[in-house]
Amino acid sequence: MSTTSVRVQEYIVRRPAWHTRILRSIEESRLFSTSLLTPVLLFFLIWNVIPLLWMVGLSFYNYSLITGNPEKYVGFGNFVDIWSNINMWANFGRTFQWVFITVLVETVLGVLLGLLFWGSTDLPGRRIALTMIFTPMILAPASTGTFFRLIYEPTFGVINYFISTLFGTKIDFLGDRAWAFGAVVLVDVWMWTPFMILITLAALGAVPKAELEAAEVDRMPWYKRFWYVILPHGKFILMLGILLRTIDSFKVMDLIYLMTKGGPGNTTETIAITLWRKAFEGFTMGWSSALAVILLLTAIAFTSVYLYILNLTKRGAA
Amino acid sequence: MKRRTWRRTLYHIVLWLVALVFFLPVIWIVLGAFKTKDQLLSTPPTWIFVPTLANFVDLFTRPNVTTYLITSVIISVSAVAIAIVVSFLAAYCFSRYQPRGTNFLMFLLLSMRMVPAAAVVVPVYMMYVAFGWKDTWLGMILFYAMFSIPFSVWILKGFVDGVSPRFDETGLVNGGSRLHVLFKVVLPQVRPGLVAAFIFNLVFVWNEFLFNYLIGGRRTTMVPVALSTWMYAQAGVDWTFVAALTTVYMLPPILIVLFFQKYLLTGMTFGTVRGEV
Repeated sequence: MSTTSVRVQEYIVRRPAWHTRILRSIEESRLFSTSLLTPVLLFFLIWNVIPLLWMVGLSFYNYSLITGNPEKYVGFGNFVDIWSNINMWANFGRTFQWVFITVLVETVLGVLLGLLFWGSTDLPGRRIALTMIFTPMILAPASTGTFFRLIYEPTFGVINYFISTLFGTKIDFLGDRAWAFGAVVLVDVWMWTPFMILITLAALGAVPKAELEAAEVDRMPWYKRFWYVILPHGKFILMLGILLRTIDSFKVMDLIYLMTKGGPGNTTETIAITLWRKAFEGFTMGWSSALAVILLLTAIAFTSVYLYILNLTKRGAA
Repeated sequence: MKRRTWRRTLYHIVLWLVALVFFLPVIWIVLGAFKTKDQLLSTPPTWIFVPTLANFVDLFTRPNVTTYLITSVIISVSAVAIAIVVSFLAAYCFSRYQPRGTNFLMFLLLSMRMVPAAAVVVPVYMMYVAFGWKDTWLGMILFYAMFSIPFSVWILKGFVDGVSPRFDETGLVNGGSRLHVLFKVVLPQVRPGLVAAFIFNLVFVWNEFLFNYLIGGRRTTMVPVALSTWMYAQAGVDWTFVAALTTVYMLPPILIVLFFQKYLLTGMTFGTVRGEV
């Protein structure tokens, strides 16, 4: 009998070097996962938690940087003061008016233009055209605000040149109580309608081709097509877009500040501007902190709604 | 057939007109940068003129302008780079180990990003003054890193979630270390997320005004702040100078949108919506 010789492949398992062993044991312990998180937690602690506690603490004090008086504990005094201040209510009202108008106009315009741009894949130079459309939202609000002051300028602004040749009068857009709010809204609309166009295009991308073709075959009228085919698929992305826009619109400060500083009078003064003026023109740090706490709570409420909708989206997609 | 192409052309013209309308104010700024002072402020507005480069020459011969531009570049790039590294580690941890309180932490991070800057600015300002961090490079860079972290963690966690843990296991079984898995296995697969997070935070920091104005100072002034202080410092605004500076400053963001257009959507929605337009 011949014996078949089987060559056994020998696997040599070497013991890893000592430093590798230590490294591995560290990696498998909880230490490793914690240390991955440590830098973010540190940042969070130093730049969020400490200032936050500071702010909440300050909001119970009457503390001003200019009078030089020692801070005085006033309990909820600052909050009561804000609550009972007529101007504050007016400013809150104006802020919500601002958010409502800008978001509404941007959404309507954005959806319409997004629908217009749908199916523009064969547009010559599409990439450049889209870049041109998306440019407003990535410009520095500081330079946009600055430049729109020139464009709105009553004596040598471009817009006023056209208005004066058409109607024979000139309008001081940013200095006139009747026009300032609308003029600032217009700039915000110019800046952020592109975002809603972007969102609309994304939402349209989520609509399955087959269903659209079915609608085409059925000769569905365009409004039914929008309502029954496009909206069910695209509404979550659209919702997210609207919500993000709401939050950002609520936050906006530098654009308004650089164009009007909240004036004339206080016709363009939103809450963010009030806070800025009280803190860095009036230096009433305690009072401003109280207002900041209120804004913070509002923002957390917005975030909760955002995440709630986001979870719905995920469930909807699954 | 003939009729159809005709309508198609009309449609394309309309689309281009829409694009032009949005771009018109930008064109006006750029044109202004090539005009002389009289041309820029003339009524009726000058449309046809011989372009001059004098404004740009003036821009770069002013002593501080180049300094501010360099400051802008250094602060925004380093802040975002730090933020991306830190956020990638955290995103990996959140995605794979899911430590207790992950959801809550993610929520907190996001709400920090949604707070109006004006609300945060008071305590941050007080803290910076008290600790003597105001107008320091490190203070400014680390603040902007913090500014960019929530956004980056959100984007990157979404992307790391998209990489199957099987890859990690395979890497570990084959004798790779965790760090190897982290940087050689997972990192290459989330590159689009890294790019999106990087360029979007870069644009945000590049354009940021409020915090640079308050917690920065003479040494750490970036261009937007310089622009606005010049505006208010002089009695008459030097418009050609403003136009030239704005033109130079908006070039990088515009190029970013042009070349990274497919990341735009991911970037603008915290990574929650993917896809291209």
